[in-house]
Amino acid sequence: MSDPEGAPARIRGGPGLSDTRWFAVVAEAERTTLRLTGAWRLPHLAEIEAALAGLALPAAVAVIDGSALGSIDSAAALVLLRALPALRAAQDASCWVGFSAANGRIVEQVRKHLAASVAVPEPRQPRPLARLGRQVSALGGLLGGHVNFLGATLVAFGQALLQPRRLRLRELTVQLEQAGLMAIPVVALVTLLIGVVITYLLGLQAEKYGANIFVVDGVGIGATREFAPIIVAVIVAGRSGAAFTAQLGSMRLTEETDAIRTLGLSPMQVLVLPRVLALMVVLPLLVFVGDVMSLTGAMAIAGPMLDVTPVAFLARLREALDTRHVFVGLAKAPVFALVIAVIGCRMGMTVGRDTRALGAATTSTVVQSIVAVILLDAVFAVLMQALDL
Amino acid sequence: MSADAPAIEVDAIVTRFGAQTVHNGVSFAVARGTLVALIGGSGTGKSVLLREIIGLQRPSAGRVHLLGTDMWSVAPDALDAVRRRFGMLFQDGALFSSLTVAQNVAVPLREHTHLTGATIDALVALRLWQAGLPADAGAKMPSELSGGMRKRAAIARAIALEPEVLFLDEPTSGLDPITARGFDRLVRSLVDDLGLTVFLVTHDLDTLRGVVDRVIVLGSAQGQGQGRVLADGTLQEVMAVDDAWIREYFSVRRIARDGS
Repeated sequence: MSDPEGAPARIRGGPGLSDTRWFAVVAEAERTTLRLTGAWRLPHLAEIEAALAGLALPAAVAVIDGSALGSIDSAAALVLLRALPALRAAQDASCWVGFSAANGRIVEQVRKHLAASVAVPEPRQPRPLARLGRQVSALGGLLGGHVNFLGATLVAFGQALLQPRRLRLRELTVQLEQAGLMAIPVVALVTLLIGVVITYLLGLQAEKYGANIFVVDGVGIGATREFAPIIVAVIVAGRSGAAFTAQLGSMRLTEETDAIRTLGLSPMQVLVLPRVLALMVVLPLLVFVGDVMSLTGAMAIAGPMLDVTPVAFLARLREALDTRHVFVGLAKAPVFALVIAVIGCRMGMTVGRDTRALGAATTSTVVQSIVAVILLDAVFAVLMQALDL
Repeated sequence: MSADAPAIEVDAIVTRFGAQTVHNGVSFAVARGTLVALIGGSGTGKSVLLREIIGLQRPSAGRVHLLGTDMWSVAPDALDAVRRRFGMLFQDGALFSSLTVAQNVAVPLREHTHLTGATIDALVALRLWQAGLPADAGAKMPSELSGGMRKRAAIARAIALEPEVLFLDEPTSGLDPITARGFDRLVRSLVDDLGLTVFLVTHDLDTLRGVVDRVIVLGSAQGQGQGRVLADGTLQEVMAVDDAWIREYFSVRRIARDGS
């Protein structure tokens, strides 16, 4: 790009007026002329703006001379006009002289814009209390929506019971595979490690009292009743809950759910019910995998650390671990699954029609599911205590 | 670089996808300050050619000079410098959905200039106005805009850095005829008032009829054109070319108009 270097020759400069690479100020008897030079283009705009800011222009800059101006783009014209508020509103074009046709058009366009522009009021920021109120009511709306969706899912389930043909077996199988079979490796690995960690921590304490064998009691009950269900539910919330939201949400973006509706099918039957049922079937199975793996991990470390041989471990486990603990753990799983699947599907079905909303909904699904799972687990703990289970 | 060197120079471009040849020696040049349209049947690789010109997809052979830079043999930092000198409007606008319209327009300005916040805000307002958007559109999210306004917002972002060349991929697709004609006028004014060079891919005959200086027709690799430029000139010149596809292309419209 041609970019004439060097300051232009100063014709008759008044005292105290500055010349730069971009312009020269020429003071004449009754008026001051600002003579533009060089290429006024965006890459140099920061320099131009600084030069204009350092310029102490007399109020009566009456003429802008563009005859020596190489080129000007609209950004530079904007900066020029912002620096010269008096000229911005001037209706007559007589103060602009010597501009080439192309440069003149650009300056004129920007002048029109500035003359037409009105300040846009800043959107009002709500006060903290109002914001809190809005958030609480939004939370209430969210919970109400979930309950509604749960009801709609139950209705769909009822319809499927009355007419078993309506159940989408193929979709159900796909979901069983994706949410169940493919989750086994990660569930197994994590619960195995959790079993090791719990045993290690309990073992450190138990060793002090020579109560090594009782570690089996603790880890057996703890893992099957609490840790395995919670850990597996959290993994499934992150895996399948997020996947449900992302799948259904992107189907909504591409209008697939609308297509399902216009074909006379129900998205609840076609999309939601298979996912909810699949998750309710597979989560107890995954929890069982988790039980087995965490006890395996415990047994693996109990030998070298606590001198509890596998035979002694298993024998003690038979005495100490009442099957009701295992059943309590397994019984929680379908409830967790229902909550995770309903939240995941509902967030996907109601997501806004843009990519940002989809990302936000997916994140929200994971957070909501995990919070809901832990809350429910606390409720279960209190209930089971009261029921003496 | 001289000012009258062509803005875009495409020289003997060959594009192959596996065994399938799409372009087989496409050559043309686009002069500065003109509005040129690229048309062709589906499968003639219009969008692919556009991506090759702006450096997103490498052609199998041939050269592309954009603003005097050889797009496919230049160093990455020189390529970045050229990228600041052209703008691209993608088919659906490709606005960043997590930012407001004003923030979208401000992205290139904040990234590539050292201007103050107040100046950037004023520049954003100017760009929105130049793209024909009302001032209050700036505070909206892209998802709150209609299709036509989204394209205008994307234009505002594409011209933010005062590009010398603007590429448009099917700018009027999905717009109603009234909005589309308004968009045509906007593009024309960018050429006339700001001196931009505009290169657009289109299917819209009204755009060709209304505002375009020159039409380049890409031929299908299987048909008569053999993957080369089938015709190149003003609309009248192109319509006079004796080719089956061109005849059919323009006669579709005649039927619609005459109702026969």
